[in-house]
Amino acid sequence: MTMSTTAVLHSEWIKIKSVRSVSGSLIAVFAATLFVTVFASSTVGQAEADNPGNDPLFSAFYALNFGQIAAISFGATALSSEFLNGALRTSLTAVPSRSLFYVAKMAVVGGLALVVGLITSFATFLVGQLFMGEYAIRLEEPGALRAAFGGGVYLALMALFAAGLTAVLRSALAVLSLLIPFILIVSFVVGGVAGGVAQYFPDQAGQLVLHAHQEGGLGPWTGLGVTAGWAGVALVAGWWTLRKRDA
Amino acid sequence: MTSIDVHELTKDYGTKRAVDHLTFSVRPGRVTGFLGPNGAGKSTTMRLVLGLDRATGGSATIGGRPYTSLGNPLRRVGALLDAQAAHGSRTARNHLLTLAASNGIAAGRVEEVLVEAGLGSVGGRRIKTFSLGMRQRLGIAAALIGDPEVVMLDEPSNGLDPEGIIWIRELVRKLAGEGRTVLVSSHLMNETSSFADHLVVLGKGRLLVDMPMRDFLESRSRPGVRLRTTEPTRLRDALLRKGYEPAQGDDGCWAVAGASAEEIGVLAAIEGIPLLELMAEQATLEEAYLDLTSTETEFAATKFPLADQEA
Repeated sequence: MTMSTTAVLHSEWIKIKSVRSVSGSLIAVFAATLFVTVFASSTVGQAEADNPGNDPLFSAFYALNFGQIAAISFGATALSSEFLNGALRTSLTAVPSRSLFYVAKMAVVGGLALVVGLITSFATFLVGQLFMGEYAIRLEEPGALRAAFGGGVYLALMALFAAGLTAVLRSALAVLSLLIPFILIVSFVVGGVAGGVAQYFPDQAGQLVLHAHQEGGLGPWTGLGVTAGWAGVALVAGWWTLRKRDA
Repeated sequence: MTSIDVHELTKDYGTKRAVDHLTFSVRPGRVTGFLGPNGAGKSTTMRLVLGLDRATGGSATIGGRPYTSLGNPLRRVGALLDAQAAHGSRTARNHLLTLAASNGIAAGRVEEVLVEAGLGSVGGRRIKTFSLGMRQRLGIAAALIGDPEVVMLDEPSNGLDPEGIIWIRELVRKLAGEGRTVLVSSHLMNETSSFADHLVVLGKGRLLVDMPMRDFLESRSRPGVRLRTTEPTRLRDALLRKGYEPAQGDDGCWAVAGASAEEIGVLAAIEGIPLLELMAEQATLEEAYLDLTSTETEFAATKFPLADQEA
């Protein structure tokens, strides 16, 4: 008799919803993004839109910068809860196939992040535009639908990237103190200077999908693909680590 | 029925050998006590049986199959390894629910085992608010959730109050009585002697003893009797004539080494000396264990462990 994949997925879903810091991070993806959207677009939104060279589409998704921090926290805490106090032993006693356990967990993390990411991305666009008055753009605008959809995928990929890294490093604290400064400082600063290389950073590449027009060498979907590559490498590294190490 | 079979099991951590060519079987229908000082390899062996750690050599199977190849293993094997191994932010009920869900166990079992473990009223509380004893009970509830044929408990009485210790004792006796295979590790001798039928003793990762507890006690006992009499002087002379060397204890009892109760009882009757008490002395498990360890050179530098939990 083999184990039921559905049953293991169900178990992973209960694990996520029953730990407040994990489910809270997921809710924060939506809540933080919407809050910043409403706050920013209702105050400085129209003034910013008036600036020459402003990309109104990219600006519409400005708040995803905050949502992605929550998405990273969600991915990291969902995995790190297994590495606390040897909880992993209990989990692997229930599901001894490490690949099944890992794939099921990542599927639930990725699936939830994708659903919440898409809702967040579309909601932030639609709600944000309510405050933009004459500068408002609509979903029918060129690239808008692609950006809204891509923004949701981007959030899910960042959550999976963090989740994979956490499986390698076995600590949410390590991953968060690595990724968040990277995204807030290194990528932001180096991104302005280094040009060519920086567009391949996981956050910079993925956010290309939010721009109205292609900038630099990577197209919107290619950029998102680069982020998917980062997430993929992290996921495989996490799987490898889990399979090789003693629990 | 289902046995745990460990064959030539070996585990190295770096250069340190934690388990060294270990071979033994745990049979159904009895409680097997798993003894040895801290660091002897008891917990490591249990983790190897559960496939959590990878063996350097040898095999460990349950019913002839490696644990990792069992489908829905919680229905076959229940294990308590470490009472701390649960996420503190989860409620006890949700913790058990994640286990039940993954193995296709009805959610109703969660309430049943919570009640069975004496946690019926605190299932909705978060685990981090639990005392060590309550976590231990939760760990046992988790082990029982799949109604398994094989139960492995690592130091189950750790942190339990006296009622809890009695509960564990009766629980493991009941599980073995139902024909299940029960392995219980401990470093507390009196505790183990109260429930074990069979003993597996490890020292430095190697097997020292694998035999019924009764045989182990007999093999390590020097026969003797204790007695009380109203005429100590006459009895003493009679015993000396027979070549025994009676010694008087502080409490007025006499101890006669090398004698059996049958011999002394008959002797006293022939001599017409009234006996108020006559008792064959048998070594306690603690004495037998210490006798074993004093003869095993690898224990020479190892002090008998006190009540600290094995890592």
